[in-house]
Amino acid sequence: MKFSFLVLLSFFLLIGCDDIQRKPGKIYMPDMAYSRAYESYADHSFLADSGINYNNQPVTGSIARDEELPFHLSKDIAGDTTNYVASKTYKYNDDSSKALDLNEAERLYLINCAICHGAKLDGNGPLYKGGDGPYPAKPATLVGDVKYESMPEGQMYYSVTYGKNLMGSYASQLSKTQRWAVIKFIKSKQVKVGTPTIVSDSTKSIAKK
Amino acid sequence: MAFLKRFSKSLFLSLVLLFSVATTFEVVAQDGKALFSQNCASCHAVNKKLTGPALAGVEDRWPDKTKLHAWIKNSAAFLKTGDAYANNLYNEYNKVAMNLFPQLTDKEIDAIIGYVNTAAKEPTTTKPSDGDTAAKGEDADNSLLFGILTLVLAVIALVLLQVNSNLKKLADQKEGFKTPEPVAFWKNKSYIAMVVVILFLVGGYYTTKGAIGLGRSKDYQPVQPIYYSHKVHAGVNQINCQYCHIGVYQGKQATIPSVNVCMNCHLAINEYKGEKIVTEEGVEINGTAQIKELYKYAGYEEGKPWDASKAKPIQWVRIHNLPDHVYFNHAQHVKVGQVACQTCHGEIQKMGEVKQFADLSMGWCINCHRETKVQFKDNGFYSIYEKYHADLKNGKLDSTKGVTVEMIGGTECQKCHY
Repeated sequence: MKFSFLVLLSFFLLIGCDDIQRKPGKIYMPDMAYSRAYESYADHSFLADSGINYNNQPVTGSIARDEELPFHLSKDIAGDTTNYVASKTYKYNDDSSKALDLNEAERLYLINCAICHGAKLDGNGPLYKGGDGPYPAKPATLVGDVKYESMPEGQMYYSVTYGKNLMGSYASQLSKTQRWAVIKFIKSKQVKVGTPTIVSDSTKSIAKK
Repeated sequence: MAFLKRFSKSLFLSLVLLFSVATTFEVVAQDGKALFSQNCASCHAVNKKLTGPALAGVEDRWPDKTKLHAWIKNSAAFLKTGDAYANNLYNEYNKVAMNLFPQLTDKEIDAIIGYVNTAAKEPTTTKPSDGDTAAKGEDADNSLLFGILTLVLAVIALVLLQVNSNLKKLADQKEGFKTPEPVAFWKNKSYIAMVVVILFLVGGYYTTKGAIGLGRSKDYQPVQPIYYSHKVHAGVNQINCQYCHIGVYQGKQATIPSVNVCMNCHLAINEYKGEKIVTEEGVEINGTAQIKELYKYAGYEEGKPWDASKAKPIQWVRIHNLPDHVYFNHAQHVKVGQVACQTCHGEIQKMGEVKQFADLSMGWCINCHRETKVQFKDNGFYSIYEKYHADLKNGKLDSTKGVTVEMIGGTECQKCHY
């Protein structure tokens, strides 16, 4: 009787030692551990329920310090290319006092773009891997393709901001200045390589677009 | 019959190709793949709808080959002819205009279609995969075995002790000694003292351990709303941590990626074909179903353009939490200090489900601050520590040991508590 009790107890002890911990640990002095103020990502949905107006978005039209002016062209609705075409004339406000840091731009390119467009800008990043990767579409060859070598900066900016075809918008990851820096970095690489090697798309079609 | 038909078609096609090779020396068969990759692959795949339709069977769908050629060379002009099939296609794909390819010759287009036809016949490759759950199971079995062994040994020891005392009693009786009446073991003082000491030790051990563990959540591994595998994303597919966690370089929070960041890739990647994924409990996870789960949050219906404004945030369960009375800043550690993510978060790129790697206790923080060298070299952030820079230069400070975080005040209370 006694022994069977012991056996049962040890069995429960062993079961209790599950190594997957799905619950967080206990807290003492919760008033010191949990913030009284609303921290980032805290749930504030109940504020609206109690009639308090709270919005975690910046006021529409506000511009961060040292940030570029807003992009005045809005996103085209599906099937329309008016603003995409109009973006060709859009230019970065080249103010010498705000020189873009191309080293930082290269870092940003390697993090955000190289995963598809390749560290060598050849359109063959680890996600595509010449068709073997999980990404089904071939990313644009940024260096060596006439279409992208001759694409105006403004149109690149439009594509990075709103996305184009299968590429998504990078506005949530890169600030306006960072987007411009990355585009300047790509353009600097294109100039270095020089003459385009692949003629995938005629200049005529670009002129038309 | 169908096979024969297809076979004869491909035979015919290859004959046409061969003929063209023989006559012009311009286009060779393997050019089809290269041409496809250069011109078509950014919008079309063979067996999958992307920006444009899947190309498998494109020849059968188009009523006329010359029309197909005209469409490829100049889709805009061909649309204006009012062709019903072309206009339907244009509308079906949300009026995204196909690029113009006037430079492609008929032979090149045929080479591309030839490649598409051969690629469409190839079976889609699936990689066999094995889980590594067996090793884990063995571990658990072992501890159970040891427990049972210990119990059995303890029982044997008790029995032997009992036998020993009985034998002694018998021997004493034979010799004629008088033995005192045996005391029941729960009344025996030495037994009671032993149990009390053991209880004190065991109880004390667990009380102290529990008290130290209060407020710490090492190994915390919650179930997330979507099974998101860091192993697949950051490990296998080599996506940089900062692709999603932008904030580590810019501020206090590492930032949880928005649904838009997920959709940057998953707008196109709608199925999972990699190695088998298994939860910690050993349940197999269907990767493709998890991607569809993401689409629900994103409000995205496959085949239609995605309206990002319909997206709902995914409520990921936060794992790493510091108490409110501690200040921690990611940018200070990652950008200025050049500390790798893995130092504090463990080998995230190998974790299917993320678990808290460090206990995030104060002792753990302080230890690291005592041992870690400050990245003094080429780091504008520390340029104000002129004395240390001078000492390093003239050899007063050992440059191999460098300046630790503690030396620049990294263990002062008010660095983190204020």
